Amino acid sequence: MSKIEIQNLTVDYTEKNKRFTALQDVSFSVETGEFVSVIGSSGCGKSTLLSILEGINAPTQGSILIDRKPIQGTGTDRGVVFQHYSLFPWMTARKNVAFGVKQIKKNLPKSERLKIADEFLDKVGLEEFKNKYPSQLSGGMQQRVAIARALAMDTDILLMDEPFGAIDAKNRTVLQELLLKLWEGDGTEEKKTVLFVTHDIDEAILLSDRIIMIGGRPGRVNKEIPVPFARPRNRAELVQTREYGEFRNELLSLFYSDIVNKIGGSEVVL
Amino acid sequence: MTLKQRYFRITNLLFLCLIAVQFLPDKIAKEPQSAYVLWFAAGVEALVLIASVIIKKPQGLSLFLDTVGFLFVLLILWMLATAKLNLLKESLFPPLGRVFYQFIEDIDKILINIRSSLGIIIQGYLLAAIVAVPAGLFIGWSARLGNAATYIAKFLSAIPPIVYIPYGIALLPTFRSVSVFVIFLAAFWPILASTMSGVLNVEKKVIDSAKVLNVGRFTMLFSVILPSALPQIFIGCNQGLTVSFILLTSAEMIGARDGLGYYVKNYSDFGDYTRTIVGILVIGIVVVAISFLFNKLQQYLLRWKR
Repeated sequence: MSKIEIQNLTVDYTEKNKRFTALQDVSFSVETGEFVSVIGSSGCGKSTLLSILEGINAPTQGSILIDRKPIQGTGTDRGVVFQHYSLFPWMTARKNVAFGVKQIKKNLPKSERLKIADEFLDKVGLEEFKNKYPSQLSGGMQQRVAIARALAMDTDILLMDEPFGAIDAKNRTVLQELLLKLWEGDGTEEKKTVLFVTHDIDEAILLSDRIIMIGGRPGRVNKEIPVPFARPRNRAELVQTREYGEFRNELLSLFYSDIVNKIGGSEVVL
Repeated sequence: MTLKQRYFRITNLLFLCLIAVQFLPDKIAKEPQSAYVLWFAAGVEALVLIASVIIKKPQGLSLFLDTVGFLFVLLILWMLATAKLNLLKESLFPPLGRVFYQFIEDIDKILINIRSSLGIIIQGYLLAAIVAVPAGLFIGWSARLGNAATYIAKFLSAIPPIVYIPYGIALLPTFRSVSVFVIFLAAFWPILASTMSGVLNVEKKVIDSAKVLNVGRFTMLFSVILPSALPQIFIGCNQGLTVSFILLTSAEMIGARDGLGYYVKNYSDFGDYTRTIVGILVIGIVVVAISFLFNKLQQYLLRWKR
């Protein structure tokens, strides 16, 4: 049984009285404990897909099942990390995490919530920044807090919408490895089911078990590709292997053929 | 900062000037109260010296010293124009010492009037804020209600609240209740309007972040929308406070038996312009003090903003 099943999803939206179809007939599933990346160029509808899963937007047609039950709006079974503004600027890092925990475990006393918050802020390496407001933290630190909150809420599913898209290259690498480490855990707990949206091919390869390529206009699933590399993965070693290069090139050619088709010319230099 | 930057300031020089001016001979009949000017100036200069020792930031110190310097200049000009050179009409522009003397003489009466005025302001204003902020949250949050309410609020807030005074007098039993009522109306509309627009301007991303955390309706409104809209709500609260003071002092001039506006009006009716000036200065000091406290509160509640 799949954890998440997306069945014939079509999403229309209206902008300036014109109707667009963002996604057409998208179907795929994600298994329990699987890390799946959704990759595609900007505007392909990958973020729209995630917003439906988050429960912020509703599908025009088709359905999404979680544990075989169709989702209705947002739910406590899903934790979310956005690219921006996941955190509330008027709460300290600690309060932000504790606030998330409170929404899931309403009856937990405040001191316990703060304890959980501290524990997860430690895990993301922010023990010294607990009492800072988001405006006092760098973009990378803010995303660490957002990840800490999503993990502290202890939901079965994690939905991540380009969480490292606005982080500089060096910090992005650090955060990817942190996420990987936290997701893999120490093997005693069940892994979370992750759906990760990105436009960064290397990020998708490093992190995921499977990559779903979305492309075209309206967006459809172009290809589902399992990532053939064993875990735990070491980036430095992995990127030097021939297999990595070949796999990466295969993905790149799929990625660019879609962009060229969409723009409608072969002279596009990217 | 070097010692020189810290202690050899123009403000200290102005203080010495003021003392020198004070010892010039008087042009008008000798005032027994002229020593009050010295006491006051010496008190302020003592504050300046304390500030020079304890304030760490150069900008903070400069701001304070410049403000005091400006005050000293005003005092010197006032002294020269009245007691020392007698350039102005004495009954309308009393010498400085007499103003200070009158202030100290009347301090009990002034405190009673301050208490009366502040009591009315606090009642009317707090009532307005307590009603307007939640109302603005609910109306702003239910967008359909919001549109209609915006027009109604615009119309009602366009009416200068002072015109409610005669009607309020007919409607309500005491002057105090009329004042509270008018201040309530005066503060209510700007606070309501700014709360509503604050709610409408909350970023969708913030609301989405809260939605995916599964917050309940109450939490959404009071733990997410309210703090998010708070910077804008404060704009309305500031505006409401200013209008409240204008209205209250005006109302007190029309029909009160106490209060700061009454103090000014009453003594100017009797041609006692020393007390009139004392009243005007006291109102100024009270408004500045209230704004100062209000700003501190605002800074504290919005400390998360960069």
